[in-house]
Amino acid sequence: MLQGRISRPIVQRLVVLLMGTIILLTVIGLLIKEGGSFFEVLARAGPNVAPTVLAALALTGIIFTGAIDLSIASMIVVAGTVFGILVFRGFNPVFCYAACFLTALTLSVVNGCLVRVLKIPAIIITLAGLAFYRGLALVIADMWVPGFSGNISVHDDAYHAPGKLYAGWILLFALAVAGTWELFAKSPRRWLALGNSEEACQLLGLDPGRVLQSAFLVSGLFLGTAALIYVTRVQSIEPARMALGFELQVIGAVILGGTNIFGGEGSYAGSVLGAFFLYFVLELLIYAGVSPYFQEVVTGAIILGVIGLDCGLNRRRKLLEELK
Amino acid sequence: MPEPILKLAAVEKSFGTVRAVKPLDLEVSTGEVLGLVGENGAGKSTLIKILSGLHTPDKGTILWHGVDARFESPHHALQAGIATIHQELAYFPHLSVSENMLMGDAWPRHFWGGVNWRQLHERARQQLSRFDLEISPEISFRELSSAEKQEVAVARALSRQARLLILDEPTASLSEPEVERLFARLNRLRSDGKALIYVSHRLDEILKLTDRIAVLRDGELVANYATRDADIDRIVRDMVGRPLNQVYPHRRTKKSGTPMLELENVTRAGMFRDITFNVCAGEIVGLAGLVGAGRSEIGRAIYGLFPIDDGTMKLCGQRWTPSGAHDSLRLGLAYLPEERKRQGFVADHSVNDSISIGFSDLISRCGLISRAGESNRVQRAMAAYSIRATGPEQEIGMLSGGNQQKAMLARWLGREPQVIILDEPTRGVDVGAKAEIHSLIDRLADSGKAVLLISSDLPEVMGMSDRILVMHRGTISVELSAEAATQENVILAASGLYHAAVR
Repeated sequence: MLQGRISRPIVQRLVVLLMGTIILLTVIGLLIKEGGSFFEVLARAGPNVAPTVLAALALTGIIFTGAIDLSIASMIVVAGTVFGILVFRGFNPVFCYAACFLTALTLSVVNGCLVRVLKIPAIIITLAGLAFYRGLALVIADMWVPGFSGNISVHDDAYHAPGKLYAGWILLFALAVAGTWELFAKSPRRWLALGNSEEACQLLGLDPGRVLQSAFLVSGLFLGTAALIYVTRVQSIEPARMALGFELQVIGAVILGGTNIFGGEGSYAGSVLGAFFLYFVLELLIYAGVSPYFQEVVTGAIILGVIGLDCGLNRRRKLLEELK
Repeated sequence: MPEPILKLAAVEKSFGTVRAVKPLDLEVSTGEVLGLVGENGAGKSTLIKILSGLHTPDKGTILWHGVDARFESPHHALQAGIATIHQELAYFPHLSVSENMLMGDAWPRHFWGGVNWRQLHERARQQLSRFDLEISPEISFRELSSAEKQEVAVARALSRQARLLILDEPTASLSEPEVERLFARLNRLRSDGKALIYVSHRLDEILKLTDRIAVLRDGELVANYATRDADIDRIVRDMVGRPLNQVYPHRRTKKSGTPMLELENVTRAGMFRDITFNVCAGEIVGLAGLVGAGRSEIGRAIYGLFPIDDGTMKLCGQRWTPSGAHDSLRLGLAYLPEERKRQGFVADHSVNDSISIGFSDLISRCGLISRAGESNRVQRAMAAYSIRATGPEQEIGMLSGGNQQKAMLARWLGREPQVIILDEPTRGVDVGAKAEIHSLIDRLADSGKAVLLISSDLPEVMGMSDRILVMHRGTISVELSAEAATQENVILAASGLYHAAVR
């Protein structure tokens, strides 16, 4: 039934990642010492990995089109800062959550408009956004929080519901939505088409600018959810240090999931599996007692290893296709 | 006489100072296949792009069904009923056949809004079966063969209720039986009352398929007659039109040098096969043929850009197994790529940098480039090849096409290669610069270099070469001496008709 929707190389990558995740879980299970519970590892995984998975879902659609958004971490920071300010001012929690979600959504839509109107490649605009939004977060924090000295504390538990209580459920819901979206929506197919060939889109009467903008809009919905969970998990919002390097971790998950960084090919399912896979790798390192200093090294090596292996397997096929 | 479905009156289009299409009148009627022929650069592509809405004409009117129409975008043209199958298939290789066929349309949905994939595939399957195509709509487009892709393209175009179908070189990558099938299909469309414009370099196909032939030359419609009144000779005469009016350098007295480049039964699956020829020192060998016949591919294979499957090559008498551009250059083989803008240079680099990058290793010591040595050599090269720029610091993208090309030549010739492969050295170059490049090539041969000249410009190949190899669908179909070659012969050979005609 999936034929025609997910191409063979993607399925291949999904299987590799799925098997990899199972192996990782098995090893973790074997390494768990007395007093630890395998079930607990699993139950903890969902909430912990939720922001990465949701952000990966956000980025996947944009990468489908051949664009990219490098400013996702900075947008989460702005959303978090807005949240922090409102909490500081004593607004009702639900209002704070909504503001956080809408801030991230709006910024994503703004990025989409800028890319479309200015006709500057998304990678450049969002690279500027990466610096600009983080700076913006600091500026507004300084403006609206009297005596701001780098962080805004959010101690009241009433403001931690999405991140601490419901993160797993929100993630499950988002996964269900993303799954349905992947299998039954037309938009992601248009984005892939745009990533395949902008010219062909034009020739078929599609407006590439609009297609691209819709990708940023949907991305904003996932990103808003990611931001909501991310910022409600911490006690203190530090605009200058929050989510540093998060965008690279997310891009890593998307690429690992088999989505072509230049667009035109990929899947949401892959991004989800990629994020989980990377998470369990780090989890395994902890259980295996590997020094935390090694974490980043291993993450890099894993991304290179999996993709390198896949490219090696597909090299001949790709070469043949290019020559055709 | 049926009503013309499409009528162009005094349509013209310029790009900058280049007049791509001069005021031109043309008609196409229902149930008619119009063949559009012309040499490269005659304005065919521009005309097609005007009709398919990619370009808007500067002046003139397009009457579609007798009504004044202006196609602002491909979308408009499609909606009006003009479908174009472009030469480079505009497709989504990673998506399924169904999606490729139906991307611009509304898709069938479930009651809750989700795409109904089963119906989508079913709809595509119906459209395919209407053309007796047994292609699964669910597989990805890239898994199709070239012929299947072409057939899906035709099916897609017609599923959109097109009244006029424009096909640009549709047979470039098809085999004989596949061409037959395509023709059967097109003939059926003609009897269904569709109008077709068929663009091809293959004159045999034009004669076989079309009802009327329009010949373009230098942006002008020079001839327009019924196919039954035409033969190959007449079309070729109209296409070429003029005697060899460009002045070619004085023909060299041929010296018999030693073979510098030898190929024996060289084969690369899907590109070319059993290629055997040699190029001697002091000789210019022309490689002619239609686009897609495999000429550039041979050049690139010799240079080592991809491996060959079979056969042997020799460079300067030594067995030659190319391992890549670096080795080729070191051993005295240079290749001037076909598309200088994409493959040759970076537009905003200076002339100086663009030239010296070709021999930077020769002028550097311990990895540092000697500035004095560099500017010295660049200055000399600019003088020797009369590259007109405001100075070595000017951006190469600002130069004219001819000067860009001379700079590219200067880059590679700075290494004093013994064997030089030139791929379309004068494409997009004005007449003056063309003559300069020609005399440069001539000087190269005179100084004992072996030159392989790949060109689609017939007068150029014939005026420059000592021998001409004509390719047809991946093989060398004929080798002609400079004396024996006429434009007619070369065109016949390139269409695969030479042996039949000579017999």
